[in-house]
Amino acid sequence: MLRLRNISYSINGREIIKGINMQFRGDMIYSILGPNGAGKSTLAYVTMGVLKPTTGRILLGDRDITDFSITEKAKLGISMMWQEPARYEGITVREYLTLGGKLRTNKDELQEVLELVGLSYELYAHRFVDKSLSGGERKRIELASLLLLKPRYAILDEPDSGLDITAGRLIENVLDYFRKIRTTVILITHHEEIAAKTDFAYFVCAGKLIKKGFSREIVQYYKETCGRCFLAEMRVR
Amino acid sequence: MWKVLPCGDESEMSIKIDRVKEYETILEIYEKEGLDTSLFGDRIATIIISGDRIIGLNNIPGVEIRGEEIEDGVRAYVEIADGTELHFPIHLCTGFLKNEGYQRVIFDITVGRNSKVKFTSHCIFPYAKNFTHEAIARIKVGERSSVFYEDEHIHGEGVRMVGKTEVEVGKNGRYTGKFSLTKHRARELKLEMSARLGNNAVAELVSKVKAVKDDSVEMKEAIYLEGAHSRGNLKSTVIAFDNSRVNVVNEAYGFGDYSKGHVECHEIVKGNADVQTVPLLRVKNDRAELTHEASIGRINEAQLVQLMAKGLTEDEAAEFIIKGLLRE
Ligand SMILES: Nc1ncnc2c1ncn2[C@@H]1O[C@H](COP(=O)(O)OP(=O)(O)OP(=O)(O)O)[C@@H](O)[C@H]1O
Ligand SMILES: [Mg+2]
Repeated sequence: MLRLRNISYSINGREIIKGINMQFRGDMIYSILGPNGAGKSTLAYVTMGVLKPTTGRILLGDRDITDFSITEKAKLGISMMWQEPARYEGITVREYLTLGGKLRTNKDELQEVLELVGLSYELYAHRFVDKSLSGGERKRIELASLLLLKPRYAILDEPDSGLDITAGRLIENVLDYFRKIRTTVILITHHEEIAAKTDFAYFVCAGKLIKKGFSREIVQYYKETCGRCFLAEMRVR
Repeated sequence: MWKVLPCGDESEMSIKIDRVKEYETILEIYEKEGLDTSLFGDRIATIIISGDRIIGLNNIPGVEIRGEEIEDGVRAYVEIADGTELHFPIHLCTGFLKNEGYQRVIFDITVGRNSKVKFTSHCIFPYAKNFTHEAIARIKVGERSSVFYEDEHIHGEGVRMVGKTEVEVGKNGRYTGKFSLTKHRARELKLEMSARLGNNAVAELVSKVKAVKDDSVEMKEAIYLEGAHSRGNLKSTVIAFDNSRVNVVNEAYGFGDYSKGHVECHEIVKGNADVQTVPLLRVKNDRAELTHEASIGRINEAQLVQLMAKGLTEDEAAEFIIKGLLRE
C-alpha cells in the first residue's frame, strides 16, 4: 500500500497542498478529480519524488520513502506519466519504450502495447519521440511506455486530455490491462466519465482533499458542486 | 574491389601500386570504425587521399573527379553532369596516417542541373598527435538539383582542424549538409560554413559536435537567403564537457522576397565548460522572415526526471538523451 500522510507543499510562501491524506491499495484503480489549479499535478510530483513535501510522509508498506530520489522510487515500482510528456530528439519510439535497451522486452510485447493504445508498430516504432509527434500520439506512446514498464503503482496525470473521441475506450483498455497485471493506478483527470471507470476517487480542490469515496459517488458530487463553486470563480478572477 | 595498376597508369579505377599499403590501412580503419566499406566498391565514384597524394580514384558515368597533388595536400575537382541521379553516394575519403604534419585539401564541386547526388566525406586521421588539417570546399548546386553532403570524422587525440565550406544553391535547388564530430575528440576545431540561396532554393546545415577535456570549438554558420521564396535552416547541437570551450555563431540574412530562415542552436554543458552562442538575424526585405531558437545549459530537467521516473539514474538518463541529440 502506498500512503500519503498529511502531505503539505508550499512554494514562495504559498501553500499549494494542504495536509493531504490518501492511500492507494494494491490492485485498485483510483482517480483524483479536481478543477484546474487544485494541486493534482503538484501532488503527483511530490508522490513521485520530483518535489519534496514541506511536511508529511510518504509510506510504501511500512517503509518511509519520503526522502527517496525519483530513481529510487521508480526502482520500488512507482512510475508516472506527466501531464505534458517530454519530447526527445533522435530517440525512436522503440528505443524510448525499451529505455535504450535497458528494459527487457520483445517485438510482440511492443506491438501489443502499441496496439492497445491505438498505434501500429509498423507506423510508429521508428518514428522519433520528438516534436514531430502530435500531442495525442505522444500521450498514447507514454501510456504504452507505462504499460510496458508494468510498475506496481502508475500515476497517470491527465492521460485523457488532448485525446480524440476514442479516449474513453482507450483509457478503459489501459485500465483493464493494468488490472490484469495488478498495477495500482492513480489517475488524475477532469473528466467525470473517465473517473467513473475507476474504483475509488479522491476529490481535491484548492490543495485540500474535499471528499473521498467510491467513484460513482465522488463523480456525482464533483458534477453537482464543482461547476458552481465560488472557489472556481475566484480562481478565474 | 579495384584493380591495382602500376604507377603512372592513367586509366580509371586505379590504385597506384606503391600506395596499396596505405589503401589497405585506410580500409582497415573503415572496418574498425564501423564505416561502410562498400564505399570502396567499383560502382562508387571515389577519390582517396592520403597525406598529399591521391591513392585511389574511380569515376563512373555522370561523375568526373580530377585531382592534383599540391604542396602539402590535394586539390580535387568534382563535376556532376546534368540530369545525373545516383543510387550510391560519391565517396570523398581524406586520410592522414602519420602522427604529425599539415594537410590541405581543396574540393571544388560543381553539380549540374536536374541532378540528385549524395556525398559521403570521411576524414580519417586516427593516429594524429600533432596534426593540422585544412579543408576548403566550394560546392555549386545547379538549378533543380538536390545535394546531400555528409561529413564524418575519425580523429586521433591531436587534430587541429580548420574547415571552410561555401555552398551556392541555384534556382529550385536543394542542399543538405551534415557535419558531425561526436565519436572522437574535437581538440581544436574551427569551422565555417555558408550557403547562398537562389530563388526557391532550400538549404539545411546541420552540425553536431562533442567537446571534452580542453577541446576548443569555434563554429560559424551563415545562410544568405538571396532568392525569392528561398528557405534555409541552420541547426547546431554541441555537447560541451569538462573544460572545453565552445563558441557558435549562427547567422541568417533575409534578402529575398518571402524568404524564410530558421536558426537553431542547442548546447548542453557539463562540468566547467565555457560555452557561448550568438545568433544573428538580419533582414533587408520586409517580406523576409527569420526566427531563432537557442538553448544553452544543462539537460532539460523535464526530460531527465521523466526518464528517472522509469528507473534510470540521472547519469543514465543524461547519456540516453545525449545519444539521441547526437544521433546522425
Ligand atoms: N512553481 C510554482 N510556483 C508558483 N505557483 C505554482 C507553482 N507550481 C504550481 N503552482 C500553483 O499551484 C497550484 C496547483 O497547481 P497544479 O499544477 O498542481 O494544479 P492541477 O490541479 O494539476 O491543475 P490542472 O488541472 O490545470 O493541471 C496552481 O494554482 C498553480 O498556479
Ligand atoms: Mg495538472
